[in-house]
Amino acid sequence: MNQFLPYFILLPLLGLVLSALFPNRKEKIIFGISITTVALHTIGLVALSLLWLLNDRPTVFYDGLSLYQTHDSDFSIDFYFDGITSVYAVVASVLTFLVMIFSRSYMHREKGFKRFFNNVLFFYLGLSIVLFSGNFETLFIGWEILGVTSFFLIAFYRDRYLPVKNALKVVSLYRVADAALLLGIWLCHHAFERNITFSELLDPAILNEHFTEEPIYPILISSIFLLAAVVKSAQFPFSSWLPRAMEGPTTSSAIFYGSLSVHIGVFLLLRTFPIWESSEVFRAIVIAIGLITSLLATVTARVQSTVKTQIAYSSIAQIGLMFIEVALGWHTLALIHFTGNAFLRSYQLLVSPSVLSYMIHDQFFNFIAPQHNITNTLWGKLRLTVYMLSIKEWNLDHFMYRFLWNPLKQMGALLAFIPVRAVTFLFVPLFLVGFYFVYNRELLPPAALEYLPSAMAVIGIMLALKAFKARGNAQLSWSLVIMNQLFSALSIGLHEEFEHAQILLFLSGIVVSGIVGFFCLRYLIQAGESISLDRYHGHSYYYPRLTFVFMLAALSLSGFPITPTFIGEDLLLGKIDEHQFLLLGFTALSLILDGLVVFRIYARLFLGPNEKGYHEVAFRSS
Amino acid sequence: MHQDILEAPNPLSRHTRFDEEHVLQELKHMLPTQTPLKDFIHHNTLHAFQSMKFYDAIFKASKIFGYKVTFNLEEYRGLYQIGRIREDILDRVIADRKGASTVLAWKQLVLVQEYNETVRPRIGRLRAYWKSAYHVDLDNLVQPLLFRILGSYMDQGIALWHFPFEDQGLLKAIRALESNSFTSFFKTKRVKKLLLDENDCTLSNLLNILVGDEAYFEQYLFDQQFCHRGWSGMAAALEAHPEAILYPKKIELRDLILLELLLEIDALEADLGNGWKPLCQKVKAKPMELFADVKTTELHEVYCIWQDAFEWSYYDEVLAGLQQLKNGRPERARTHKHFQAIFCIDEREDSLRRHLEAMDKDCETLGSPGFFGVEFYFQPENGKFYEKLCPAPVTPKYLIKEYGSNSHRKHELLYTKNSHTLLRGFLATLSLGVLAAVRIWLNLFRPKMSPAISNAFAHMNVDGQLTVENKSPQDNENGLQIGFTVEEMATRVEGLLRGIGMVEDFAPLVYVMAHGSSSANNPHHGAHDCGACSGRPGSVNARVFAMMANHEKVRNLLILKGLDIPAKTQFLGALHDTAADEIAFFDEHILSEKNAVAHQKNKATFERALDLNAQERSRRFASINTQADLSHVREAIRLRSVSLFEPRPELGHGTNALCFVGHRSRTKGLFLDRRAFMNSYDYRTDPEGKLLLGVIRPLPIVCGGINLEYYFSRQDNYKLGAGTKLPHNVMGLIGVANSSDGDLRPGLPLQMIEVHDPVRLVILVEHYPDVVLKTIQIQPEVYEWFINSWVHLIAIQPDTDQFFYFKEGKFIHYVPLTQQVKSADDMQHLIRSAQEMKTNHIVDATQENLSVHVIQE
Repeated sequence: MNQFLPYFILLPLLGLVLSALFPNRKEKIIFGISITTVALHTIGLVALSLLWLLNDRPTVFYDGLSLYQTHDSDFSIDFYFDGITSVYAVVASVLTFLVMIFSRSYMHREKGFKRFFNNVLFFYLGLSIVLFSGNFETLFIGWEILGVTSFFLIAFYRDRYLPVKNALKVVSLYRVADAALLLGIWLCHHAFERNITFSELLDPAILNEHFTEEPIYPILISSIFLLAAVVKSAQFPFSSWLPRAMEGPTTSSAIFYGSLSVHIGVFLLLRTFPIWESSEVFRAIVIAIGLITSLLATVTARVQSTVKTQIAYSSIAQIGLMFIEVALGWHTLALIHFTGNAFLRSYQLLVSPSVLSYMIHDQFFNFIAPQHNITNTLWGKLRLTVYMLSIKEWNLDHFMYRFLWNPLKQMGALLAFIPVRAVTFLFVPLFLVGFYFVYNRELLPPAALEYLPSAMAVIGIMLALKAFKARGNAQLSWSLVIMNQLFSALSIGLHEEFEHAQILLFLSGIVVSGIVGFFCLRYLIQAGESISLDRYHGHSYYYPRLTFVFMLAALSLSGFPITPTFIGEDLLLGKIDEHQFLLLGFTALSLILDGLVVFRIYARLFLGPNEKGYHEVAFRSS
Repeated sequence: MHQDILEAPNPLSRHTRFDEEHVLQELKHMLPTQTPLKDFIHHNTLHAFQSMKFYDAIFKASKIFGYKVTFNLEEYRGLYQIGRIREDILDRVIADRKGASTVLAWKQLVLVQEYNETVRPRIGRLRAYWKSAYHVDLDNLVQPLLFRILGSYMDQGIALWHFPFEDQGLLKAIRALESNSFTSFFKTKRVKKLLLDENDCTLSNLLNILVGDEAYFEQYLFDQQFCHRGWSGMAAALEAHPEAILYPKKIELRDLILLELLLEIDALEADLGNGWKPLCQKVKAKPMELFADVKTTELHEVYCIWQDAFEWSYYDEVLAGLQQLKNGRPERARTHKHFQAIFCIDEREDSLRRHLEAMDKDCETLGSPGFFGVEFYFQPENGKFYEKLCPAPVTPKYLIKEYGSNSHRKHELLYTKNSHTLLRGFLATLSLGVLAAVRIWLNLFRPKMSPAISNAFAHMNVDGQLTVENKSPQDNENGLQIGFTVEEMATRVEGLLRGIGMVEDFAPLVYVMAHGSSSANNPHHGAHDCGACSGRPGSVNARVFAMMANHEKVRNLLILKGLDIPAKTQFLGALHDTAADEIAFFDEHILSEKNAVAHQKNKATFERALDLNAQERSRRFASINTQADLSHVREAIRLRSVSLFEPRPELGHGTNALCFVGHRSRTKGLFLDRRAFMNSYDYRTDPEGKLLLGVIRPLPIVCGGINLEYYFSRQDNYKLGAGTKLPHNVMGLIGVANSSDGDLRPGLPLQMIEVHDPVRLVILVEHYPDVVLKTIQIQPEVYEWFINSWVHLIAIQPDTDQFFYFKEGKFIHYVPLTQQVKSADDMQHLIRSAQEMKTNHIVDATQENLSVHVIQE
């Protein structure tokens, strides 16, 4: 049975590649390929699930391709299938199938018809990888794809301001979840001293063997995965991104934010449940988060005056309950609840435009003027307070800025004393010297070897912070990101013995994408376009192809799994010792910041309204 | 920012004193006036500029607000390349505008000269200083909360908790909230204090804190309010028309502005600390006169030439077609008519009338605005409100009530608000989740009518009775007279019949055919209904008119007035669903035995005409194969109207361009591709034009309004239209926005306008030019439309069949350049030969239109 698993990944991949070959006008072909892919996938899934049930639910594990292997680490693509995979994948494929059919007419003649179907297939591929993944490394690949397709689908109307702004907002948070997942992988790597698979997690013996000596690990690992789950499922305090993600066509909102994407956090909790199952405290934390989210989201849903945000908050509230169910061990209920919520919210979003005529009609016959009976008592005041806080979404959106992004910006501002030119005149030579020592470590005194890695990491993080704060020239920010990546590599290279291949693997993608990115920026400058980062330029209007090329460069520079950089990233991270939390923290932070800066450069230059010439330009507030 | 940017083009006309009332009036005048979407009333999007000449007005609006008001040169030149803009017409337009000697020079400019076409609007330049000089992005800080408060306040029933104290007015409600709760919408104490001090919380005071110098106040308010013209426009529209919503909300634009100013001060205070200085301290330039005249540039002239050439390339063909038809076809006198059918003037009925006439050569079709001259409020049985069923500017004094119906509206379980609460939501997800999946499946593969779909036929219950006749003066409700007296009925019946020239040769059956439109998942459904019935189906009007015209006492009165309707003639109301292409007939039981038999036969004729109509419409729908069997096409058309996934249930008024006022014989046999409004009128029954004003008066505002709304939504779908429908989010049941934090989007969505060629409406009147001239000059508000060229006007001289174009106050003889329009002997073949647009870019989209054809008999 396990031999079938890779096909569930290869099929959407094939569909994606095939459908990407046709131009936007070929709506029938693009739709045909997409729907065939999903239909075959659905049939295969149902068959596999039945087969699995009939065989008394065996453990299905596919030991896949090893992308990179050394004595102590093994980056392999493994697949796994169990009841959780089955329920999630069947719901996902049925919903995707339905929504795709819905979209055929709905998206007809849209400029982004092809972009939409490609993105949905890409998303579907990512989701399949997550659901079928056999280890965290594989899951991470799918996870990254989900993040990136979310960005593209939220910013689907890329010539308007709000979609782009909100896409950036969402992807910034996703980046936090990405880093959390990476850290979790790192922790697992150290806890188990190898790359653990999901089937092994089910074996109490393996868990006991590793966890009894270091009881801090299960708590740390679970907490970091919980953070990732909380972000992806828009739980407290990260709830405010979900209503803002409803920027794309209604069908994509229905399938992504109404149902599939937003339930991935619950999936992650189910997957990692064996790790934290025995910790009462941790289960209590999950329950508390679920409960707080449910309560806040449900009162917020009550005051929403727009259809889609109301559905978003109702969905968040139900997912909060699912968190509680998972923590209580009621997994079957959680899966049923997931299924019901996914279908119901998708349906509600799909029909959300009809609410206007339905409700007005209903009102016409049944309207009763509301009573204004708020009393001037403590209870009355509390009600008003809750009302106002709900209108303000409990300040959660504001909270993100205040406690997450602004401090980073302020740190970046503190680095204003480093002149721009220093990047070329100071850091490039510094890097070259450092690089020389990487290959000649014996020349350095041991004391230096102890502190240099951290020093390099600090330089790296300074560059990243500077890039995060920078609002000027895109070339400068782009080079800061590259330099930061290089210094991260340096810090690890100086840190311990390593294989050259690992560093090269890491650098290959960075160097290539870095150069391609520079080329794109030069091209814009030569065409007389502005590349300052203080506003959106919308260059995709006049340069759609360049946009695509730059997007690829940006993705690979931010460590997206399309170049070997991604594997290198994971391997290098693995080099960090279990006690070097500072180094780890810096590396994780610079990963987050790099991603944010790269996405922002892409968004500011190529997305948003283009105001040059005489054509339709959207208002900023639309 | 350069200093000169804020320089007033004409500093002399600058106001330095801030006149609050005046500025508020100006704002309300300039903001969009679209009321909540439940009723969609088409109007000129740039109504505020209507007192100016069309081109001056649109370029001025463009310069002030940054709207795109014409095509750009690349688009016009593309249209020229494919022949949609004709060279001979272009030459003629240049010669007319610039003189025959300059044609070559101007043609060079028009065809090849490169221009910098970027428009830098005047609006927003003052407020931009917050960002450039203070590094504060006020819109980002203020708008999300402001929109959420406004949305919650105006909400008609999406939220489960309504806005506390909403009966007191926006600002008072917020004051009450602030003083009775433990939290605040504001971050700083200073602003909360400002809010609570009612005497200090005035526009002048707040502007003084924020802006400083009085001379900048007006410009600042315009900048601010036009950052979200959707919400501000809605507040202003509801202030002017509180009756436009069912759930009463007290809202004033002034309150909105005060709230926004407070939020702005709050954001600045929180961001910059308490030492910040008013905006004008950083502004060195003088205040700008936003509405100062805009200098006409050479580029403007080029756009005018192109737009004129674009429009006349089409009109010229139409005029040539009319001429050709007249010459080629002797008028045949018919003595016996099988039936007559009075349709709405709506251009969507053009094709159905054409097919009907082809199916039964002995029928006559006529056109009249779809409220059929009966203006009233309608109250459906059990309805808690009245619905206005007449053109929007009319305020009726009558009420028609429905009673005795047995049908009841069903509910839709999946729309329950309970799913949005925590515990009931939990149960709902467990129970309704699977149902939802089944529902999606069913709707995709077997779409059918449901309570959630807006159903044109459900507007009135067919089995219900209507209180048409008023028996006593005491019979009234809320100041409205219930029903019409016999005299009032007779006046209305006579008015309509005489207006359309229907004074003799009555057929035994006269159908009064209203129209409406069914569509699913469509917040803009009202825009597809009858414009003459305030954006609602006209079924009640049709039924009421038929009942009046059949009334024995009315008939007797009419005879006294010289209008003798034979006793055997019966009127029958009906409703045509323009999306589903179905017709329902009302009160068929009243028919005499003989008429009932004839009616059955006519019904079959209607059915066949509907088949062909569906086929004709299907050519513009990619999902339907026009070549397929008629019954398949018809079914596919019907399914569109109940399919949730179909953003184009029908194409509304897209492609409208003409309005013909005259006898049907002048247009019968001309294929106009559903682009002509058609109002029946017979100059022979009205030689002095006494009735003509009544006929023409509603046309500019109804048809011209529709036409211009389509024009501007097509030219700038982003700023003047609603953009693509696909991401729309219904806000408070009053409008749509794109995002959770977005501005309301008035105007038409992309899916409605992509087939539309933005040409101005041309009204063709069959009468003597001097009579037409005299008529339009009677009322200045009517004359304004013509003299300022917002609609074109052409008189067709009855005896000579010559065309006279109304230009700068005079009628000028016009000779079409088109030598010969195409002929077709097989309409179906013609329709099937049409090609589908490759993309919805105008150069591709316009190729979907079929040219004018003379149909051979």
